[in-house]
This record gives sequence, C-alpha cells and structure tokens, in this order.
Amino acid sequence: MSAELSLLIALGAPVIGAILVLLLPKPPGLRDVLHIGAALAQAIAAAHLASVAAAGNTTRVILARPLPGVDLAFSLEPLGALMAALLAGLGVLHAVHNAGVARATQDKGAQRLMAYASLASAAMMGVAYSSNLFTFYVVYQALTLATFPMIAHGGDEEGQRAARTYLATLLGASVGLLLPALVWTYAVAGALDFRAGGLLAGRVDPLTASALLVLYVFGLAKAGLPPVHGWVSAASKAPHSAQVSIFALSVLPAGGVGMIKVAAYVFGSALHEAALAARVLLLLVGVSMCVAALIALSKQDLRERFAYSAMAQSLAVVMGTLLAHPTGLFASALQVVALACGAATLTMAAGAVYAATGRTEARDTAGLGRVMPWTFAGLAIACASMVGMPPFAGAWAKLWLIAAAADTGFISAAVLAGAAAILTFAHLGPLAANALAGRAPTDPFKRADGASIMLVAPVILSGAATLWLLLIADPLARFLSPLWMGGS
Amino acid sequence: MIAEGLELARINSPLLLVTGPLVGAALAAAIPNARASWAIAAIAAILAAVLAFDLGWRGLFTAGSTGVSRHDGAGLFVVPLLAGGGALVTLALGALSKDVSERAAPFAHALVLVVIAGWCGALLARDLFSMFLAVETAWLAGVGLAAVNAERDRAALSGALRMLIAGGVGAALLLLGVGFVANGVGEVRLLAFAETRIAAPELTSIGVGLILLGLAIKAGAAPFHFWVGSAFGRTGAALVLGALAALGAVAVMVRVAGFAFAAPDLGAGVAAVLTVVGAASVVIGSLHASGARNLKRLAAYAGVAQIGCILLSAALGSPAGLAAALVQMFAMLAAALALFGGGAAIGGVALPSLDGLGRRAPLASVAISVAALSLMGAPLTVGFLGRWRMIEAGVGVGWWWAACAVVAASLAGVFYAGRLIDRLYFRKSSAPYVGEGGGWRWLFAPMLVVAILAILLGLEPAWLLTAADAAAARMMGLAP
Repeated sequence: MSAELSLLIALGAPVIGAILVLLLPKPPGLRDVLHIGAALAQAIAAAHLASVAAAGNTTRVILARPLPGVDLAFSLEPLGALMAALLAGLGVLHAVHNAGVARATQDKGAQRLMAYASLASAAMMGVAYSSNLFTFYVVYQALTLATFPMIAHGGDEEGQRAARTYLATLLGASVGLLLPALVWTYAVAGALDFRAGGLLAGRVDPLTASALLVLYVFGLAKAGLPPVHGWVSAASKAPHSAQVSIFALSVLPAGGVGMIKVAAYVFGSALHEAALAARVLLLLVGVSMCVAALIALSKQDLRERFAYSAMAQSLAVVMGTLLAHPTGLFASALQVVALACGAATLTMAAGAVYAATGRTEARDTAGLGRVMPWTFAGLAIACASMVGMPPFAGAWAKLWLIAAAADTGFISAAVLAGAAAILTFAHLGPLAANALAGRAPTDPFKRADGASIMLVAPVILSGAATLWLLLIADPLARFLSPLWMGGS
Repeated sequence: MIAEGLELARINSPLLLVTGPLVGAALAAAIPNARASWAIAAIAAILAAVLAFDLGWRGLFTAGSTGVSRHDGAGLFVVPLLAGGGALVTLALGALSKDVSERAAPFAHALVLVVIAGWCGALLARDLFSMFLAVETAWLAGVGLAAVNAERDRAALSGALRMLIAGGVGAALLLLGVGFVANGVGEVRLLAFAETRIAAPELTSIGVGLILLGLAIKAGAAPFHFWVGSAFGRTGAALVLGALAALGAVAVMVRVAGFAFAAPDLGAGVAAVLTVVGAASVVIGSLHASGARNLKRLAAYAGVAQIGCILLSAALGSPAGLAAALVQMFAMLAAALALFGGGAAIGGVALPSLDGLGRRAPLASVAISVAALSLMGAPLTVGFLGRWRMIEAGVGVGWWWAACAVVAASLAGVFYAGRLIDRLYFRKSSAPYVGEGGGWRWLFAPMLVVAILAILLGLEPAWLLTAADAAAARMMGLAP
C-alpha cells in the first residue's frame, strides 16, 4: 500500500463509513460492522503512515488549490503521524463502544451519532495531517460542523441551546481570532506551509509575535483556554458516546495538536520573540487548569466532571507549547497522548455505566466497581493517568512538563501544574476509590446480562493504552525530534 | 452566410446585448398569454447570455476585438455574470407565475428583460450620459417590477414608492455629477479621464463623487439603503432586484471608479467616497442582517454588507483590489441567486418557515446553506476566496482596518447566516410546507444548481481568478 493511498484512506474511509451507516441503518448488525470496519480501515492506514514516518519518509496529497500558492494539502510528518495513529486506534475502540451503547440503549438515531463520530474522526485526521495553516483551518472548521449535531442529538431544547453555544463559541473564535492570525501570518511570511523551524522565525518583531501568539492561542478555542471555553460546558450536555469524540478523540486533541503545530511549525524560534505574551498566557493557563479541576470537583454529573477534567488536561498541552522549549513541546505531545487515552477511557466508562445501569451521577457509582470490575479497573487506570501517577501516560507528560517549566525558569507554571494535578486527584481519586471499594449495589443493571463485552472491552483496552508510554518514551522522543530540531 | 451573420453579431455584441433584450421585452409584453410571454422572455435572456459570455471570453481570454474600450474590464467581467444570472432568473420566473396575475405577467417578463438590458447597457456605455440613461432605464424597470404585484400585495406598492423616491434622488445626483464632469473635463466620454488633461480637477472630483453617490443609492449601499428592506423584503421581484439590479449598480460604480482611477487627480477622492460608503455598508448591512426575521430581508441586507466589501476592495485602486472586487461580485451574485432563489422555491418568507425544510426541500435548502457558508466566508467557498483576495490586497498596502472590516463581516455572517442552516437542518417544522407545486417548480433547479456550483468554485477557482485579474488589469489600463 503506497503512502499516498494510505493517506487518502485515513482521511476518506470514515467519510465513506459515515455515508454507508446513514444509508444502511438497518439491520443493526450491518450498521455496526460498517461503522467499526471504517474505523478499522482508518486505523490500519494511519498505522502504516506512522511506520512510513518512522522510516524517515514522507508523502503529500493535494486535493485542491483554492488560493494562489496555497493548497488544500495533507502531508506526513512525525507529530501528525503519531497523533493520527493513536487517535485512529482509539477510534476503533470507540466504534465498538458506540455499537455497544446503541444496542444497550436501543437508540433509534444511533446511526446519526455513528456517522457524525466518523466525520469528526475524518476531520481530526485532517488536522493531524494538514500540510499548511489553510488546510488546518478548513478541517478545523469541518470538525466543528461535524461535532455540533452530536450535542443536539437528543432533540430537546436544552441540547439545541447547548449546540448553538458550542457552535457560536468555536466558530466565533476561529473566524474572529484564528482567521486574522492566519491572514497576518500570510502577510508576514508570504506563505502558510507548516515548516520545521517555524514559518515566522526571523520575520517578526516582539510586538507582532506577541499579538500573533495571543490570536492563535485564543483562536484555537478547541484547546479550551478561558474565556473561549464556553463550548466545554455546552459539550458536556452531549450524549455519552458523543463525549468520547469531543473530549478524547477529536475536538480537545485538535486544539492540542493545533497548538503544537503552531508553536513548532509556525513560530519555531520566533516563540522567543513573544516571551512577554507567553509569560502572561502561561499564568492564565496555569490558573485556568486549577480552576477547571476545581469546577470538575464541584460537578456530580459524570459527563460534566470528565469534561472539565479533560479541559484541565488539555490546558497542560497549551502550557507545554508556551514554554518555547523542546522539552515543553515533547511534554505537550505526550500530554495529548495521555489526554486521548485517559479521556477516552473515562468517557467510555461513563457511557458504559449509563448504558448498563442508567446511572449518571458520581455519587451513584459507589460500589459499582464490584459488579463492573473491568470497566472500573479501566476507569481507575485512566484516573491515575490523568492525575499523573506513574507508570501511566499522564505521569511522563507531567514530569516533562514540570521539568520544562523549571528549565525555562517558569517556576510558577510548574507550581500551578502541580496544583492542578492535586486537584485532579481530588476530583477523580475518590470517584475511583468509592466505585471499587464501596458496597456493591443490589440489582444495579437495567438488563439481567449486565454490561456487554462491547461496552467493557473498549474501556479496559483504552485504559491499558495509558501504559504504553512507559515502554516507548525514548523512541518516541527520537521520532518526534524533527518537531524541535528544525529550529535549533 | 450564417457564419458571416454570426460574426457580425459577435462584432456588434455590445449593441445587441442592449437591443436584443429590449426587442425581447417588447415581444414579451405584446403577447397576452403568460406562458408564451415567459417563453419569449426566456429565449431572449438565454440569447443575451450566450452573447455576453462570448464577449467576455473574447475580451478577457483572447486578444480578439470586442467593440468595447480598452479600459472596460469591469464590463467584460460583469456583463456575462449579469446576463447569465438574468437568463437563470428569467427561466425561474416560469415557476413563479402564480405570484403575478395573468394580465400583469407579460409586463413582468418584459420588465425583467429591460432590467438586464439597462444594466448591461450601463456597463458597456462609452460615455457618462449614455450610462445615465441606461441606469435610469434599468432602475425604472426595477420600480415597475416591484410594483407589478401591487394588485395582490399592497406592500409591493410601498416598496416601489420607496424605490421611486430613492431613484429620483439618485438620478438627480447622477445627472448633476455628469454635468460637473462635463464642465470639468470638457467631455463626457469615460475614456476622457485617462486620455484628457482635466482642466478643473476639483469640479471633476465633485462630479465623480456625486455620480458614485447616485449609484450607491441605486445599489442600496449604506447609508442610502432605506428602500432595500421594503423593496426586496416584501415584493415578488426580490429575485430580480436582489440578484441582478444590486449587482448591476455596484458594478457600474466600480466601473466608473476604475475609469476615474486612471486620472491621478481623481484617485484620492474616489477612494475616499468608496471607503466611507463601503465601511458604512459593511457595518450597517451586517447589523441589519443580524436582526432580520425574514429571509428576503436577510439576503438583502447581507447583500448590502457584501456591497460594502466590494467597495472597500475597489477603493484600494490597485489591480489586486479591483480583482478582489470583481471576485466578490461573482460571490455576491451566486449567494443572491441561491438565497433569493431558494427562498422563492420554498415559498416562505419568515425565517420560522424554514424550520426543518432540509429534508422536504433538499435542493433549495442546500442552495441556501451553501450561500450561508459563503456569506460566513467559510473556506473553500467563493465568499472566502473574495474576502481573502481583498485582505491580501488591503494588507499589501497597509490597509489593516479593511482586513478587520472583512473579518467583522465574516463574524456577523456566522451569526446571521448560521441561523439559516440551524433552521433548515436542526429544527423541527412548525408549519406545513407550502412550496410551489407542479412540474414548473423544476425551473428553479438550473438557477439553484448553478448558484451552488458557482459558490463551490472556491475549491478550484483558477479560471475565475484569471478572469478577474485580466479584467482588473484592463481596468487599470495595463492590458494590451
């Protein structure tokens, strides 16, 4: 299989899968096979592309030339290849989870959720493989449009209002802030291609660099930095399976990947010129991490708690990029991996609990670990990873992040990241402990056969994925080194 | 013999583009049967479109003789759009026959042709006085169209009256401006700006300014847009007025500005007028569109905002700015055809009537949605392309505020145009669908399909950009 073909499959398979699922919603078996099959095809293609990138090769596909000298193009580079392979792999688990939830809840509109999840996955692949800022902007917008119907899926007034808030926040920030940043970049650099070493390197003065950094950081509202974080609360009203897409597999990771790409390929060494803005933003990010973790602590609804918890994790990605240091960039990349694995496990666990027991509140999960041991084992692993406990993925990410903050002299950032980890423990630790150690509830399941394997397996497998950084942290650093080597 | 006749027609195509539709109009008005009259009008409009595309092709892409002046890039670019749009609108009128009485229908068809002939004439006129006559002809035909449905809807009469008042003021300013220019330059040929030494630059500047203001009134640019809502928003003629007349008026404005930029003494004044009117139109049009509760009004005010972007681009006075203005005119026409056409096909006017129509009127819904995306400036649409070219041209000469205005227009577009998509696809229907029945409704299809394709031209816009660049170069006197 050629790399170009793999790239097209990674981008196109979910789109075809979405169309087929919408056209053939019955029988449910066929629908589920199509949904999972498309995710599998995407994952195989993305894995192949990662191996191509690991061998030092690259490829590029141009779909259109909408502006003179600016292509709608996708290409292979280490960061995109890693993120795409990880998210596509988790996407297979999510597809299985979707099928399990659809069967357990008898959702008549499940094919729509599956189709939108596939489209979101295609857009996320586009974000990962985007070759330039223009392409990134296009697929970033497509991701917003693909995910917002999932929030309104229930059809009730509250869901529709939340969907509108979600759309307004994300579209408003991207049109009002990200687009001007993109135009400004084009005006300064005369190009929009992601370039190792930074498109703006040597081309901007401190004032311009600072202004551009502010526009990018707030324009990339999917990363969740206040005050453009209103969509997080809106998306927490989404159905459980939609939350997996939004918080673990597409929207939050798209914000994180976008931030890393902007820091590494747009700013590069020019990030040092924006030190003033970066310093202020770091403080805002650190405080926001702590506040998000505190808000999560105040939420009883599992969806809301996990949404704010994921937001705090996503802000750690932003913090790493703002440190303007190779270690910070590496920490950010690891943090996206940790966020994806951890949030996918948590949100799928919440979905499995809801599908099997109908319970949605944190207080109602006490003792559930005794009747759903695999699900809550996965949840506990994910909680440990989100908190930053070794040997799970989150630990390495936070270790590198704090090391990078210390290296660059931003001790306050390191302290705030540590405080956020403690607050994360406060809102996730007791939840996992109560679920596993509490007294088992009597007759917890809606159905006699309990949670099906399609609900349980994705949770435990995704939880186990948080361990893999333990094994490959060093090779991963070498794999990602082009991200910061271009500028040094 | 036939070949010679065709060649003769090609050589005289500017003249035929005016006289052809006028003859068609006379025939259409003389035939009492509504369907027969419509058929004559449609044939005349299609023939005019063919002639216009041939003229544009020869003028912009080949070095062949076209019978128009060497500065006439705007005419060569916009006349095919206007005539092509006119043909599609005239075809669609066949599906709107129920809106007009049998007695008034032939006059309505004739008036549409006169609108096309008038604005084509204004875009191809060689002197200011001919241009004035052509503009007034087109304008009065537009007023007639707005009033043609008055016996069924009294609001149409109110709209027509407002148009008449606005047109009267505009005509006075135009005529006064032509007089000032005639005194300042010594003649009224448009090429005189480039070829003659202007004896009284101040007087000429005032004259050109008055002409631009007169045309701004007719284009519905802010703050002269008081007639737009009532004329476009309530009458059945919105499709013609919103899509064709607005484009014609703003194109004539840009054309006059293009000629005037050739005279160094006039450039600053022209740019100032275009900038002020353009900026006001972007802001006021966007605000009005955001508050609109009716699809036609929303489309009309979105058109005002688009006119603002066009004028701001033209105000740059550079080939890049004029090319950006032309691309935006293309985007404006495509969006207007899709929005007004989609609205006419659906049959409802109030925004709630769009609720849940995505499944029941799929083609019209797709057209409206694609137009909405273009108004938002969504990437890969022609709306994005036009605004990008404008920002590129503006930033190139340090006009950052113009780039900000475009971003503001796009942000407002997200709000007001986003509502349309929300209603079409994400709301439940609140009223029964009352769309035009019968097979005649398929006559909307060519217009809607062409509008959708035109908007999606943003995916691969090479030839559109080439045409706009060639036209802009010609306007600046850079073409051979």
